[in-house]
Amino acid sequence: MTKSFLATNRSVLVFLLVLSLFTLAVTVMAEATGYGLISTSFVKTLGKTLCLCLIAIAMDVVWGYCGILSLGHFAFFGIGGYAIGMWLMYARTEEIVAGSLANQPLPATPQEVSDAIGTQIFGVVGSSDFPLIWSFAHSLPLQLLAILIVPGLLALVFGWLAFRSRVTGVYLSILTQAMTLALSLYLFQNDSGLRGNNGLSGLQNIPGVSASQDDVSIWFFWASAVALGLGYLLFAFVTSGKMGSVIRAIRDDEARVRFLGYHVESYKLFVFTITAMVAGIAGALYYPQAGIINPAEIAPIASIYLAVWVAIGGRGRLYGAVIGATLVSLLSSWFTGGSAPAINLGFYKIVWTDWWLVLLGLSFVVVTLFFPQGIGGLFDFVAVKRNSDYGPSEGAWRAEEGKPE
Amino acid sequence: MLRAVVMALSIFFLAAAAAAQDLQSVLQTYSDDIAKPSRRTVDQAITALIDSDLPEVPAFLQAWQEKNVWQNEETGLFYYVEGSDPITLIDLSTGEAVGTAPKSVMAQIKPNAGVRGVIGSALVQYQLLDPEYDRRAAALDAISRDGSAEQLAPLAASIADEPDTGLQARKERLLMMLTARFAPLSEDRVAAIEALSSDVSVDVRAVMNQTLTTTTGVAAALPEGANIAAIREVGPDFDVNTAYAELAAAGLAQPTVTEDDLKSALIANIVDDQIAGVPVAAMSDPAERVRAYQGLVDTGLAAPFVPMADREAAVAAHVFYTQYDEADQFVTDAAAAAIKQIELKVGAMQTADLALDAISLASIYFLAAIGLAVTFGVMGVINMAHGEFIMMGAYTGYVIQQVIPDYTVSIIVALPVAFIVTFAAGVAMERLVIRHLYKRPLETLLATFGISIALQQIAKNIFGTQARPLTSPSWLDGALVFNDVVAISYIRIAIFVLAVMFLCLILFILKKTRLGLEVRAVTQNPGMAASMGINPDRINMLTFGLGSGIAGIAGVAIGLYAKVTSEMGADYIVQSFMTVVVGGVGNVWGTLAGASLIGFLQKGIEFLNPSNTLAAQTYMILFIIIFIQFRPKGIVALKGRAAGN
Repeated sequence: MTKSFLATNRSVLVFLLVLSLFTLAVTVMAEATGYGLISTSFVKTLGKTLCLCLIAIAMDVVWGYCGILSLGHFAFFGIGGYAIGMWLMYARTEEIVAGSLANQPLPATPQEVSDAIGTQIFGVVGSSDFPLIWSFAHSLPLQLLAILIVPGLLALVFGWLAFRSRVTGVYLSILTQAMTLALSLYLFQNDSGLRGNNGLSGLQNIPGVSASQDDVSIWFFWASAVALGLGYLLFAFVTSGKMGSVIRAIRDDEARVRFLGYHVESYKLFVFTITAMVAGIAGALYYPQAGIINPAEIAPIASIYLAVWVAIGGRGRLYGAVIGATLVSLLSSWFTGGSAPAINLGFYKIVWTDWWLVLLGLSFVVVTLFFPQGIGGLFDFVAVKRNSDYGPSEGAWRAEEGKPE
Repeated sequence: MLRAVVMALSIFFLAAAAAAQDLQSVLQTYSDDIAKPSRRTVDQAITALIDSDLPEVPAFLQAWQEKNVWQNEETGLFYYVEGSDPITLIDLSTGEAVGTAPKSVMAQIKPNAGVRGVIGSALVQYQLLDPEYDRRAAALDAISRDGSAEQLAPLAASIADEPDTGLQARKERLLMMLTARFAPLSEDRVAAIEALSSDVSVDVRAVMNQTLTTTTGVAAALPEGANIAAIREVGPDFDVNTAYAELAAAGLAQPTVTEDDLKSALIANIVDDQIAGVPVAAMSDPAERVRAYQGLVDTGLAAPFVPMADREAAVAAHVFYTQYDEADQFVTDAAAAAIKQIELKVGAMQTADLALDAISLASIYFLAAIGLAVTFGVMGVINMAHGEFIMMGAYTGYVIQQVIPDYTVSIIVALPVAFIVTFAAGVAMERLVIRHLYKRPLETLLATFGISIALQQIAKNIFGTQARPLTSPSWLDGALVFNDVVAISYIRIAIFVLAVMFLCLILFILKKTRLGLEVRAVTQNPGMAASMGINPDRINMLTFGLGSGIAGIAGVAIGLYAKVTSEMGADYIVQSFMTVVVGGVGNVWGTLAGASLIGFLQKGIEFLNPSNTLAAQTYMILFIIIFIQFRPKGIVALKGRAAGN
């Protein structure tokens, strides 16, 4: 009687189909591979949006499915970005330095090369020595490994400490927010070894690649699309079946799951860690497209925005997170980019660059109050008939959140 | 005609000068030094002037310093002057007009800044006895800024006749400091130093440190008769290479070959892409570089390396020391002992100062968090817009200051108005949003966050991005200074007082009023409270309004010492939550404990690493995360029924 994974998760197939069609369409329209209907910078924006969708589904799994409102996932995203950024910056600077040292009468020693790279990279913070944290920056495989391991390890340790002492609910949210704040404040220092508030820059130049940004942007777009597709599959798998049921049960009543004999902490820790690792990957794909990363990116506010996307898109369904992230981040860049038409009220002119955040904030309140299932909830009207909510009270978990896809 | 008069006058004057020792004659003796003074040569002239004991000397020095003395270039005589062309000449001694001269023959004497300084210090001894209080005080300021041995005697002489007791005490203290540094007898100096060793002021510490200045030195043997401060042993802090470099710099050893020397020698000797037979292409290997350099040494083209053993031997053969610039060992010993005692005292006082700082920081955190303690602690509602209520209160204060220009009145008006504004905002928010979300705490967090970003942006749209000042009344300016180490600004004291008042107010409301009773009842069991006739809706609304109103008042207080910006609330929100969580939810005393812990901790960490407040905040947050592991319910955890679920 057991059905296959895909048969029980029809939304996965639909999502992958839509994603493939979207990727194909962008490929056909891009400068490098098609008719040049959309600019390279827009391809980058779309690629970045896919990365944001990836971290949004991670956030959805940890919050919408497991009930942990983490306000720290953007920190993991940033760590991934820093990890790849260190290699990009090191290797790129190495190329430049090798070029300039080649004109000297004596060929440079390894020490001289390393010193010159250090001066180039850390000159802005008044230093020239490589901090310990850069020990592996010369090696791409090691830094790629760091994208997974550093966020994973941080999430593991933090999660173990927090879950072990049964910190739950809003306390956990505040604690994760504190962790994010601590990390971003630490990175803001010049002697953190990661160039303080200058951050890492020039990440759009891939060392050893002479192709134009037109090509590079579409490669990263493809990579982001593949990562999103795989991430979606992974999380659809994690949240389906028996394990998915346990995870959702933890969200709905943690104590009851514990009394049923499940080791709640392990499940939570697993979800927290794996989503952190995926967030790291998303960050590692995002920042080479953005070109620059600095500590302001991981300020607590970014993680809260992440929660906003997921809430607007619809918690407890992976495609909801994707919709929310896409819609809000694209709308946000449209409004703040100044291309949205201003509304003239006669006595006052609403300029959207000034009022977009007000609109976002208020629409967020409205969504929370009146549409707790978010935009994704609209699909329920199309797909299946609404079932009654779980439990009698106003705050009881709704059927949409508790039911497998 | 005029010239004839002048000539006649000068002849008369010269004649007079010959007759008696008067000012002009003294000046004529040193005519060149006076007219074109230089810092080096002017001393002699000034000494002669002072030695002459003429009563008009101070006035002359003063005028000289202020560039009011002119010289007739033809006769060489000095005058004060009045008017422009023709210039009226005024006699230096009598102060009477003695004739006129065309501007062309008169030259103004303009001593440079260095000379004016020398004149100034010569003037000090006269000023010390000046009848005017301000002059005497200025003279003391000059001495304490730049003391010298010559001032010792005049200062000592001026003490007995000093009419003002305050100045007399200052003079005695200054005399003590001058004695410590410049007295001829070492017994006097030691006695003065010992007397000063209980004083922690900055200038006394400066006297000690000036007495204890050292220079480093190296020699084959310790120099005879030098006042040695310490012998520097070669060890981890002072390695062989540093020591050898010092030797080489002192000319006592052959310099080592540095990396740069090696490189330039190699570059200078490239012949046919080879250096001493080693191909240039191999130079990326440091070992090959050394081999090539050795080749150059062998052919005499470069200075040889100094082997490590030689360096060690050379270092071992010399003694490295630091030497006091002050030759008298008794004096330096006494000063070293005194500074040790002073530093101990200063350390204790710094701790006290740090504690004051920490208390004031804690009261700021307490003010920021107490409103949150009411809404979050008592009601269990996370209000992310709490910071924006703080901001709203601060902007209310700013707007009121625009309307009411008097700072004292405006602050007194601003406090209640800020309370009313934020109370209303809080009640509105509770009615419109939070009331619907009581059973979904995580969503309260997000909805209030939405309000928070909207409010922040609205404030930015109205008031702009630049910081707005909230000026404190002038009676809050300045600081309460205990001594040079311990001081606290009045504004911080005011914030502390405000925090204490709020603590009492909140405690009073919660424990002694009907409202407080009902609030506590609703907190513990809303259903039971409702069946006792309490309207939980109304209580929740009022509690939330109260918490928000306090945030508004905190905003005015915080705005007084920090700038008012649209982001100021966001700076406090995480800290405020920390304060409440660390202290223990649902308890005002807990908030106080949390604020104290965080305030003291932050100041403590900043003290250990003063250059880096960012790091202090980072470590503090890490500490809090770990702290919560061990006391998840905070410092003051509620027990029994009050703890709820």
